[in-house]
Amino acid sequence: MKKVWVIIKREYLVRVRTRAFAIGTIISPLLLLGLVVLPGFLAERGGGGEKNITVLDQSGDPKLFEGIKSRLESTGSRSGEDPGEGFGGSTRFNLSQQVLTPEQNPQDLIKNQSGSAGKNDPDRSFLVLGPSVLDNSPPEYHAKNLSDFSIRTLGGAVSAAISERKLMRAGFDASKISQYMKPVSLKSFKIGAGGESTEGGMRQDFMIAFALLLFLYMSVLFYGIFVMRGVIEEKQSRIVEVVISSVRPTQMMLGKVIGIGLVGLTQIGIWALSAGLLSMFGAKMVMAQGGRMPSIPVNLLIYFVLFFVLGFFLYATLYAMVGSTVSSEEDAQQAQMPVTLLLVVPMMIFGLVMSNPSSNASIVLSMVPFFAPTLMMLRIAVINPPAWQVILSMLIMLVTILGFVWLSAKIYRVGILMYGKRPNLAELGRWLRYN
Amino acid sequence: MNVVELKNVTKRFDQFIAVKDLSLEVRQGSIFGLLGPNGAGKTTSIRMIVNIFAPDDGDVLVMGKQVSPELQPMVGYLPEERGLYKKMKIADQLVFFANLKGVDSGDASRRVDDWLERLELSDWKNKKPTDLSKGMQQKVQFIGSIIHNPEVMILDEPFSGLDPVSVDLLKSVILDLKNQGKTIIFSTHQMEQVEQMCDDICLINHGRQVLSGGLREVKRRYGKNTVILDYEGTDAFLAFDLIKQHKRFANYSEILLNEGADAQEVLKRALESGARVNRFELVEPSLNEIFIETVTGSKNKAQVAEAIR
Repeated sequence: MKKVWVIIKREYLVRVRTRAFAIGTIISPLLLLGLVVLPGFLAERGGGGEKNITVLDQSGDPKLFEGIKSRLESTGSRSGEDPGEGFGGSTRFNLSQQVLTPEQNPQDLIKNQSGSAGKNDPDRSFLVLGPSVLDNSPPEYHAKNLSDFSIRTLGGAVSAAISERKLMRAGFDASKISQYMKPVSLKSFKIGAGGESTEGGMRQDFMIAFALLLFLYMSVLFYGIFVMRGVIEEKQSRIVEVVISSVRPTQMMLGKVIGIGLVGLTQIGIWALSAGLLSMFGAKMVMAQGGRMPSIPVNLLIYFVLFFVLGFFLYATLYAMVGSTVSSEEDAQQAQMPVTLLLVVPMMIFGLVMSNPSSNASIVLSMVPFFAPTLMMLRIAVINPPAWQVILSMLIMLVTILGFVWLSAKIYRVGILMYGKRPNLAELGRWLRYN
Repeated sequence: MNVVELKNVTKRFDQFIAVKDLSLEVRQGSIFGLLGPNGAGKTTSIRMIVNIFAPDDGDVLVMGKQVSPELQPMVGYLPEERGLYKKMKIADQLVFFANLKGVDSGDASRRVDDWLERLELSDWKNKKPTDLSKGMQQKVQFIGSIIHNPEVMILDEPFSGLDPVSVDLLKSVILDLKNQGKTIIFSTHQMEQVEQMCDDICLINHGRQVLSGGLREVKRRYGKNTVILDYEGTDAFLAFDLIKQHKRFANYSEILLNEGADAQEVLKRALESGARVNRFELVEPSLNEIFIETVTGSKNKAQVAEAIR
């Protein structure tokens, strides 16, 4: 076993000392954080930030325009209150009113102003408040770009303003109307393992679960491929024969897998530690400024490390096997497909499990050893599955890992000395029988 | 004592028989040449000695014991297909190789320093292989295979890609090791080097042994059946039944005689044909000749055997 240790040490030190490792450790969480947060962020900040809308007003109620305008101008400060609704909250709206008689056709005006005549303001959009807009005929929005989150804000403001005017017309007291019309938000609580409820948001749960899933998938894939490339490098540089005249091929493979796995654990350890510190101190700071930040429970981090270790071992042995059967990176691209596919499948069906984590399908899928690292982790993040399910999935993985270590070792010891044509399945089968 | 011994060893890969019923003995303190054409089974035999492959039949003994992982530190192996880690410093790699053979790091780095100095590579200690010429890398690989001071060293084409100065340096190191009582198994296609260095040889073809014994004795077995003839004139006189083979070089001809043929007959014919003879010498065949003759001969035999079956 001392020899395995020598291999582990080399694999570990050679990789941890590189600049790529340092950069990867710092960059990838930022990148993933960006992947999770950025789309929402961009949608919120994006859209140009400023929107010029001409209100073509045929309603005959001057207060309606004012109601819409005042609501839209106050949305900027409102968005911090409820991040769940805040898409488009920070767009600045510039509204200008153009009063029309009920006989005029708003279409003509829009055509005039957005055609050749509207060249100096091509992005101008139009809100049409028809003559009977206060009697159930819907307001209309005309714009070149309709895939814009700020439309939701606009719609909300228009709807609220119209409702207010309707209530006004029905004789309600103006001071009470705003009080009654205050939106009610649903406060959500998560039932924990012990049955106790803690306040949490769906969005927060989703973000944590998704982030953990993504991290796990990326880490297993990344370090799995690392193992494969390590094996190919040793083959290509013809160093294998020297090494296996000193150690058994199985020891060489295990040393490589464990060494690279430890590199991964080091990286994840750094991430988990900074995530933990961020949850403890960062969240307080953000919260103090009125913001909200998801904090990751410690038990989830522990599960994450466990599932990384199991998932990595399973896939790394497979990738090592693939690496040993090919002679070049080009061949590897093809040969690794089946293995990578096994890892990608759960990323394609995770929505199914996330929306229905306790269904039979979800339970079964999270037991399949190839999917367990990602899908069981997801279920743990979303609900608290019964302990037996978690333990069973881990046991199934362990047994599968042992099986594949055995199989991979048999293929590996032959494969690393074979150059040239990629073996087919029948040849691989024969390799198993070699002495 | 025999440091390495193969007893009736057979190794199969599927239907293909790589080594068949091979026996050989390597004496301690000798340089042993393992020869054979490409694909003869040399590498497979070597891989069984270094415990990469296990034989299907027969015994492989190192230091008198069945080969096992415990014996691996006794053996050093420089494969024909060899390399270095691209992104590791020379000294670190060599310490790694020593560690793999069970030498602890402190001891290993002292040995690395000594060997790098001896092979004139001290300046490259902290460089990576990509900064080294191919020849320098070869020398580093050589150090890697002997850094743990093994009893047996197996060197497969150790001089390929080296300049004459480095070849001389490496040869003197190998002879030094031999004088210290180490055993060297030497596999190469360079027959001149075998003639210079080896005590014993074993020639294998199609996985079988076709020739073995002490180098002197093997050559003597073939007798003085080669004539070196330096002459002026036509070579028409050489076309007669006593001559098996005739090679014409720039300044002389090498003539291989048939069994039982009299060399004097060649001289007589030459003089009769009116040629001027400047040199006439009866010599032992070169190892190169023996190699070619044995291999082509055994090929014919194998074909015959195949046909009979």
